[in-house]
Amino acid sequence: MSDHTVQKHTAPREWLAGTLFLLPAIVLFGIFVIYPIVYNFQASSLDWDGVNPGRFVGLGNYTRLFQDPIFLTTLKNSGWWILLTIIPQALIGFFLAMLLNEKLRGRAIYRAIFFIPAVLSPVVVGIVWQRIFDPFNGVVAKLGRATGLDFLVHGYLADPKTAIFAAIVVNVWMWTGFSMLFYLAGLQLIDSSVLAAAKIDGAGTWRTIRSIIWPLLRQTHLSLLLLGIIGSLKTFELVYVLTEGGPNHASEMLPTYTFKQAFQLQSVGYASTISAVLLLIAVISSLSMVRAFGSGFLTGDEK
Amino acid sequence: MTADRKAIPATGAPARADSGPVRPHRRRLPHWSHAVLAPLAVLWLTPLVMVVGLSLLPTSNPGTTALGMFPQEPSLGNYVQIWTNNPILRNLVNSLLVTVPSVLLVILFGSMTAFALARLRVPLKAVIFGALTLALILPMSSIVVATFKILQAMGLYNNLAGLVLVYTALGLPFAVIIIRTSFLAVPNELYEAAMLDGASKFSVYWKVYLPLSRPALAVVAIWQSMSSWNDFLLPLVTLEDNTLKPLTLIPLAYRGTFLSQPGALFAILVLISIPIVVVFLLVQRHLVNGLSGAIK
Repeated sequence: MSDHTVQKHTAPREWLAGTLFLLPAIVLFGIFVIYPIVYNFQASSLDWDGVNPGRFVGLGNYTRLFQDPIFLTTLKNSGWWILLTIIPQALIGFFLAMLLNEKLRGRAIYRAIFFIPAVLSPVVVGIVWQRIFDPFNGVVAKLGRATGLDFLVHGYLADPKTAIFAAIVVNVWMWTGFSMLFYLAGLQLIDSSVLAAAKIDGAGTWRTIRSIIWPLLRQTHLSLLLLGIIGSLKTFELVYVLTEGGPNHASEMLPTYTFKQAFQLQSVGYASTISAVLLLIAVISSLSMVRAFGSGFLTGDEK
Repeated sequence: MTADRKAIPATGAPARADSGPVRPHRRRLPHWSHAVLAPLAVLWLTPLVMVVGLSLLPTSNPGTTALGMFPQEPSLGNYVQIWTNNPILRNLVNSLLVTVPSVLLVILFGSMTAFALARLRVPLKAVIFGALTLALILPMSSIVVATFKILQAMGLYNNLAGLVLVYTALGLPFAVIIIRTSFLAVPNELYEAAMLDGASKFSVYWKVYLPLSRPALAVVAIWQSMSSWNDFLLPLVTLEDNTLKPLTLIPLAYRGTFLSQPGALFAILVLISIPIVVVFLLVQRHLVNGLSGAIK
């Protein structure tokens, strides 16, 4: 009872303290997150070169975008990217996590090897893989020549049919360790008595993994799914360094297309429209995931 | 369960979920999983070995390489050259001047926000969470034009401080989510006891919650180091002076020059990577616990 009165009495002061704790974040957010979003939507209604006063065109940029074949390419590429990075990264990452959750000699070294690509700059990763895929000096082509596997001697990044998939391979190499780390963290939260009980009940390894461990990692799967979708939509640096979205827009992603429109073609209004649509897609995907699965996987809460 | 584990005499190692009774008979033979892990590790390492190998190409006549990776006559000439011919030290310092402050600020502001959300009663919690999530999914490319204009208006265009502020703002959501989970794992009784002793909210946050959340802070530190150290979109559009450019801009800015000196290019890539890999190795042991919200 007395507890309750004390809390009531201190409520305004607590609000004040809380606000002070939140203040730096709120200020930074207002300036560098909220305002730019509003600014971007506003700019998307203009025909604007970014320097001279813009001309209001209403939804003109949006109608232009929906008729733009390159926009369609970016959507298709994002779709491939989402599908072909999230699933392999999750499966390989989970597999590695299962093996590296055991006590094993060299465990820390293995973990480091698989995670290091994720800490590297996309500039580094991009240039290194350009070299690997180089049809003359690259490791892949040299291997192809040495073994007679001619299909390896091919400029995968320069071929419009394969460029996006070559970039996806690089992305999987880069980020699989990140998925592994998330699964290792998820495995920490599984009560070992559950696994002991399964063993006593005579469940084999495969069955334990499939019916107990995999379902218990639901939050981890969902976090990785959301991060994967958002990360795929956001992909800029790696593609910019590897192919610049080329050849002839074949590996264009929404952010690389935005960048080209804004900083190479000085079409800032149109670039803002692409950004706005990208942001809407990202928000809608996240909201539908929160709707379908609750927000626990996002905030780290139990439910 | 927890009591069980605590009953085992502490050996200094943190209790882990999978540490059961010791099974000595397992220790002798190499585990079968090495047969799977070792080839995968080699595959994963190959690009890294290659970048180091090619950085050792001789400067004058690159000559031939074995497997496209190992120069016939390795030399450290490229490292000497990039260190003496380019103002590379300047670029390295610039990268540090951006990364270190943004890591410190994101840990400070992120943990303050996390503390308020986890332990204090603040208005509009749901709105704050919504804004955090929005920032988490926000693509840098969507705000780069606006950011460019804001920095200009604030007089922070062509200025490293501008980058620090933007990286801090964009790094906050991840920091808050990770640190808050860890703060929630601190028993509430600890908070109440400290408050009854007359401690201020700030000192409880500073002296109790922060030290207990070191694994989470390590995760945030490595994540923020990565994003600040590795980014190049923002420097590309907001920095004009060559003397202000961070390391990541150098390979692209001098791409033409490097065509004739592939070894120097790869040496710079190694230079860009070493600091961040070292930071990762330093905090590595905290990462898994930090991500799972464990406290110490």
